Amino acid sequence: MKGDEVTREETTPRRNPFSAIGHGFDLTRDWWEHAKVWQRYLVYIAAIVFALILPAPAIGSFMSPGADWTTVLVYPVGTYILLAIGLNVVVGQAGLLDLGFVAFFAIGGYNVAFFGTHYGWNYWVTVVLGIAMAAVSGVILGAPTLRLRGDYLAIVTLGFGEIVRITANNSDVIGGARGITNVPHPPPIFGEKFLLDPAPYYYLMIAAIAVVIIFSVRLQKSRVGRAWAAIREDEDAAELMGVPTFKFKLLAFAIGAMIGGLAGGTYAGKAVFIEPNTFPFILSATILAAVVLGGSGNLPGVIIGAFLIGWLPERFRDFAEYRILVFGGVLVLMMALRPEGLLPSRRRKAELREGTGGMGAMGAEVAGPGTEASTEVAK
Amino acid sequence: MLLEVKDINVHYGKIAALKGISLEVNEGEIVSLIGANGAGKTTTLKTISGLRPLTSGKILFNGEDISKMPGHKRVILGIGQAPEGRGVFPGMTVQENLLMGAYTRKDDLSKDLAEVYELFPRLAERKSQFGGTMSGGEQQMIAIGRALMTKPKVVLLDEPSMGLAPMLIAQIFTIIKEINSRGTTVLLVEQNAQQALKLSDRAYVLETGRVVKSAPGRELLDDPSVREAYLGGH
Repeated sequence: MKGDEVTREETTPRRNPFSAIGHGFDLTRDWWEHAKVWQRYLVYIAAIVFALILPAPAIGSFMSPGADWTTVLVYPVGTYILLAIGLNVVVGQAGLLDLGFVAFFAIGGYNVAFFGTHYGWNYWVTVVLGIAMAAVSGVILGAPTLRLRGDYLAIVTLGFGEIVRITANNSDVIGGARGITNVPHPPPIFGEKFLLDPAPYYYLMIAAIAVVIIFSVRLQKSRVGRAWAAIREDEDAAELMGVPTFKFKLLAFAIGAMIGGLAGGTYAGKAVFIEPNTFPFILSATILAAVVLGGSGNLPGVIIGAFLIGWLPERFRDFAEYRILVFGGVLVLMMALRPEGLLPSRRRKAELREGTGGMGAMGAEVAGPGTEASTEVAK
Repeated sequence: MLLEVKDINVHYGKIAALKGISLEVNEGEIVSLIGANGAGKTTTLKTISGLRPLTSGKILFNGEDISKMPGHKRVILGIGQAPEGRGVFPGMTVQENLLMGAYTRKDDLSKDLAEVYELFPRLAERKSQFGGTMSGGEQQMIAIGRALMTKPKVVLLDEPSMGLAPMLIAQIFTIIKEINSRGTTVLLVEQNAQQALKLSDRAYVLETGRVVKSAPGRELLDDPSVREAYLGGH
């Protein structure tokens, strides 16, 4: 017995071009919601085929004329996607604003680098260890702070991100400001060696993303996902339904952190060299931008968002210094014209219309798209 | 005695919201808390359901001390609440909202779901509509229905008439009566004192965090000081 079927809502196409594009996305999403199982599998297969042929030089010459396309696909694009899926668990599903997500990326990366270089441990062992350490630090960060809400939680997580970076900077054991060099590459899989050619790393990245997507979708559809949705939409009401809210928020932090740690491990395997400045605050902000731009809470949207955020600045390298300015301008425009993100879930749209749903108080005090400022004083 | 609140104090920071409130709810009763804004009615309910910690005092449910128990465990014991301002999940459909109420339950829900739809035919018509797109009255119905889905022994209703048209208020009160007659104990917080007192077996009058009067509902309706303060009459 599920929530039956959602009635189709009337979405009238609006005038500006962004809305027209957005409307197209909405139609796609509506089709998807009513699509049959075999249609869905066709889309899955198409997505995998698309991912496999994406590094083709013919595509690359347009997508990335300036830099090696496959390298761009591994970092930033693939890494951003992995990070965005992880942050989406925290921000999009549980509705907790985390501004220090890069910390888990750093922990995953440093684990691989440190244990690989100092102790010569197997790459995969260090990746798993990195994931575990990230989860533990997620719990350590969450346990005292998850009693805070909204803006306060955001500030504390921001601080955590900085603490991890600055600690790395000041710890000589892990190389201090010089970082760690000669990080070992992954051992060969199926005879495929991980050396300078970016292709094997790309396929490794695709595999990691696929695993994380499946994991994330399964979670979303489980009891855990329902609990997160309830917490995101109204935390007190969730507690009154018998949802152990604190435990589930902690779980969201831990799972988000694990995915962040996996991204860090995958990244370090290719990077050869990591240092504290590989993990600046701006990366947390960028990943958050990817999640929000794509449509917080909706996995395809988040992936598209991360792809665009990773790819656009690379594509427009011609603009040299100005590209970040242009990039910022595009982001501002996007959020002004389509504040719910490129491809939001229908549920998310309904939440935003209410002025609730995630981002803690930041979401609650801002009027949703197409509404007057709906400040319910009584709440 | 089903629910017993013994001399509880609750603070928001340094400000005392409740200064030694005691009340009792027997099985099968409808009990009301009435009082002006800021009297501590909502805080009392939130403390009973576990959303607010108490500084001192005790809450007993079926004789068991639940003062330190987290809110989500009190739901399993049988305390259901329709929170202030309704607290409907806007991104879930009506049906999903109701099923959220049964989150902790593993038994068969279809009977209870049918009963909620029977109590609120309006919700049955709009099963698949998003909670956030429903009107105020309908959201109140969701909130009450969702609380009933937790299969509570006592249901705490926080201002169910707030912001509703008079017709709807009458309807909601009829339904509260009906819920009670089907065996659920009701603890009701209301500003709409007239209607609440008519319905209640007993009522408590709260003023700035204290109980100033308690008596059967009918009696309070005729009490001159209560009439003057809360019923706008003489």
